[in-house]
Amino acid sequence: MSVERWGHASPVGKPLVTAPFVFFSSLAVVALALSAKRLLGGLAFTGMNDDYAIGVWKTFNVMVLTALGSSALAVGLLTWVFNQKQFHVIMRASLSSSLLFYGTGMFALGFDVGRPWNFYNVLLPWRWNLHSALLEISVCMTSYVSIFLLYENLPQVLPEGWVRRIKPAYPYMVAMAFLLPIMHQSSLGSLMVLAGAKVHPLWQTQMLPAFYLMQAIICGFASMIILLMVTCLAWSRPMDVTLLGGLSRFMAWGSAGFVVLRFLDIMVRGQLALAFQLTWYAVLFHAENLFVLVPALVLFNERLRLSPRILFVTAVLTAIGGLTYRFSPTTFAFRYGKASIYFPSLGELLMCLGYIGLAVALFIVAARQFAILPDRIHD
Amino acid sequence: MSDPNHPTINQQLKRSGSSRRDFITLCGKLMVAAPFGLAITNFISPEAVAAVVGKARRPSVIWLHMQDCTGCTETLLRTSEPDLATLIFDVISLDYHETVMAASGADAEAALRDAMALNDGKYVLVVEGSIPTGEAGTYLKIAGRKGTDLLADVSAHAAAVIAIGSCASWGGIPSSGPNPTGAVGVDALVRNKPVVNLPGCPPNPYILLGTILEYATTGKLPKLDALGRPLFAYDRLIHDHCPRRAHFDAGRFATRFGDDGHRNGWCLYKLGCKGPVTHAPCSTRHFNEVVDAWPIGIGHPCFGCAEKSVGYTIPQFTLAPINDPKPTSMYPPITTPRGIVEAASAGTAGLVGGILLGAGYVAARKFPSSATAAAPPPSSEDVSDTGAES
Amino acid sequence: MTLTRRDVFRSIGCGSIAAVAAAVPLAASSAKTKTDDLGLLYDATVCIGCKACVGACASANGLEPDTALSGGIWQMPTDLNPQTKNIISVYHSDDGTEASFMKRQCMHCVDPACASGCPFGALSKGKFGIVEWNGNLCIGCRFCEISCPFDVPRFEWAKFNPKIVKCELCRHRLANGSQPACTEVCPVGAVIFGTRAQLLQEAHRRIAAHPGKYYQDRVYGEHDLGGTQVIYLSHVPFAKLGLPETGDESPAHYGSKVHSVIYKGMAVPVMVYAGLAALMRRRFRIHEEEARAEEKKTGRQEQL
Repeated sequence: MSVERWGHASPVGKPLVTAPFVFFSSLAVVALALSAKRLLGGLAFTGMNDDYAIGVWKTFNVMVLTALGSSALAVGLLTWVFNQKQFHVIMRASLSSSLLFYGTGMFALGFDVGRPWNFYNVLLPWRWNLHSALLEISVCMTSYVSIFLLYENLPQVLPEGWVRRIKPAYPYMVAMAFLLPIMHQSSLGSLMVLAGAKVHPLWQTQMLPAFYLMQAIICGFASMIILLMVTCLAWSRPMDVTLLGGLSRFMAWGSAGFVVLRFLDIMVRGQLALAFQLTWYAVLFHAENLFVLVPALVLFNERLRLSPRILFVTAVLTAIGGLTYRFSPTTFAFRYGKASIYFPSLGELLMCLGYIGLAVALFIVAARQFAILPDRIHD
Repeated sequence: MSDPNHPTINQQLKRSGSSRRDFITLCGKLMVAAPFGLAITNFISPEAVAAVVGKARRPSVIWLHMQDCTGCTETLLRTSEPDLATLIFDVISLDYHETVMAASGADAEAALRDAMALNDGKYVLVVEGSIPTGEAGTYLKIAGRKGTDLLADVSAHAAAVIAIGSCASWGGIPSSGPNPTGAVGVDALVRNKPVVNLPGCPPNPYILLGTILEYATTGKLPKLDALGRPLFAYDRLIHDHCPRRAHFDAGRFATRFGDDGHRNGWCLYKLGCKGPVTHAPCSTRHFNEVVDAWPIGIGHPCFGCAEKSVGYTIPQFTLAPINDPKPTSMYPPITTPRGIVEAASAGTAGLVGGILLGAGYVAARKFPSSATAAAPPPSSEDVSDTGAES
Repeated sequence: MTLTRRDVFRSIGCGSIAAVAAAVPLAASSAKTKTDDLGLLYDATVCIGCKACVGACASANGLEPDTALSGGIWQMPTDLNPQTKNIISVYHSDDGTEASFMKRQCMHCVDPACASGCPFGALSKGKFGIVEWNGNLCIGCRFCEISCPFDVPRFEWAKFNPKIVKCELCRHRLANGSQPACTEVCPVGAVIFGTRAQLLQEAHRRIAAHPGKYYQDRVYGEHDLGGTQVIYLSHVPFAKLGLPETGDESPAHYGSKVHSVIYKGMAVPVMVYAGLAALMRRRFRIHEEEARAEEKKTGRQEQL
């Protein structure tokens, strides 16, 4: 059997309305209906309370899913900055999936904030509080999604003539499309630094911005591997294991570096003992690290790297570990030791899942219609 | 100047040989009834009060009965110092009062005319009872005159008008639904001069005496609230001045007459006490000159007799609204845990997690374990339903 | 394609910028007090738990008393909430030997975490150092609730037009020359009002006059968390009263150390962008050349 190699992207084609598409679209409709209800009724129906003032929409749809949606950053940096030209063929898939994850994340955020009509202040620089990490996120994420990432996705949908017209700006837009996510993915970490002692010492560190950024890139790789493998499986498309294996090598280096730095950080801050006490926090700490480290160690082996099953499982484990790491400081490790709890209400959870369903449904539409997913070269 | 027809109280007391001691005791009781808010009690001893009040001209008082039960008269008669005669002849000059005056019939009518003529423009008119306005006011006729006409006539020549009791203040019992006689209070009919309302069923008599003597001594009526009630007596809710308030704040309520809470003197709110919506001085000025002789004091919830829209309107055992809730005497802990886990939500989350894990397992099995066995030949675009998760 | 040396040096360059940025200033707080900063001194040894301040606060601030738990008859909040800007709670030790009341409201920190994190400065230190909320700038993100070490700001979850509710030292009454409602109504002077300097002086006077009476002979808020304008004296440990004992560095300072250095004057982002843009321009030009060559050879258009 010949080994498949990807050469260019191609649309998946019809039919559009299949069982999975209907399923995800239904989820999306439920979310949109509940969103309308939230607009009219306020936020009391959620599980959020004054002790846990940010809920799954912010901690999951934004913090976690934009990590999955950082494949545009991760793969883009590899391809353009570090000149790994072999990954050009998957750039389209990473750009469109990132746009959808970010877009639906911002959409969820729009329904999460309590006074969205004042968001126009983001356009008035004299009102910006430059000390605030959240301001940084507001400005950068909004402009990233609405301008730069969107621009990068245009060549996939525009006709040739238009693409030619927008090309001159391309390098400058892409440079911003690297700078901005570096800034706001790290600022997502800075958010929890301000919470100070409310975050458990195993997570609270001045390195949070760096760690969040690293995990964004690691999860960007992981999500790309998972996305490509699942779509190949679901739509019976040829799968380039060599390329995916190559990508996973970078993911492994990133994961290993993350775990090493995290332990160094714990030691420097003198919190190593906490990691070895018999508490759920220690268990979570080790789980987060193991879920990214063990796959990384496996993926350092070239032969294992080229096994599709191993690729898939390690990518999934890495994603779980990385997403848990980004999720913990705002939830499990937040207000540790205190009696209050937070769990999303049913409506809140359905909205969270529905926004994801919206992203998936839109991705299905886009992948079928446009040349996004990579394919082998047909001569 | 010394006018034999209009002596000062001191002169009158001397002339009649009445006990000055009793007058001073009266002044002491006025100080209790009006600890603040009246000029005449703003002194440090009953003697000082007596010195000032004594110099006032003995006020002429004309007392009209309308649709009344005479209870407000009875309350006045329950003063023991000074005795009734001293009170109605020396301290005030009760020139017309259908219950206690000796005259009747034509003599009574003449007494009213003479009293009005002798003190024209100077007498204090006290009205007891509501005035019926239904059927053109024919429900009440005294000596052939309608109550409305009588009131209009006598009040026109009065220096001050005092409505004593809830009936005269806002209609009282006769005005409670369906108000068949069209009973109204004095101030609904007397519009051209200030009317002092002293609601209560009956009110404490020293409130009345304090008001009359304040007017007689200073020439001014006491400060009134928006409903014409003197602030010195009606500025507070019973609830805000109640000796059982601590029990209310602590949540100690009597729930049935005779239960342990009731026997222990606990708060009567749950038995329908209208203290929270009733402005009246009863909690500190009791009745019949007996300590604790007032409804709550004897273990019966206040029924709001003094307050329009409460007394004879809201049923006894209906709980009164608390319009200005104050903190309870119970304390919250230093921290209060928040948040619940909705079962349906936890279940859904678990289900979703399980589905994802299951789908992941199935997908992992579908992937071949080595590269050379990978990549099936390109086939038709059937979508497998392991779920197009991404 | 392998990494070129250029690429490696580029990444080291970015790393060293990060290393420089990690050199942080030593001060524990990025803010200074002003002489007219106003505050409160609450002496838990004097408080009798009468809760007059709770009722007075609600009426002075036009808040509906929270009667939900009592079925409408008492003001009975269990914690600060959108109808309760000030609350008295009680602490009992397990063995019953220690007890104290505790008054909780906004601490009006010298270097507030909430104001540091608020994206458009809806929460900011205004006149007299009072931390004020401005509804025109607030987007309802609730980051202030996350960052406040004292868990003070409260969000009106159920409202369509939700506000952030917290004590603002009755600044509307200060404007009329009155005191805050709580200090005015306190019958025993457990909570008093003045400038922070005056209150600290008074607190130290009390400690000096009664050695051993006050916990650790210490005024809470003098240095804690960068200093607060509402300061506390207590005979029981401050931690038991719910006050965080996490050191003298303000969370705002801890939280902005790295951020403020990296983004100072936006120098680093601009430099990084300049580098990236220059690099991208070169890469893109080469990419376009190769794509054109490929198109000539195979007829396939590039997919950007």
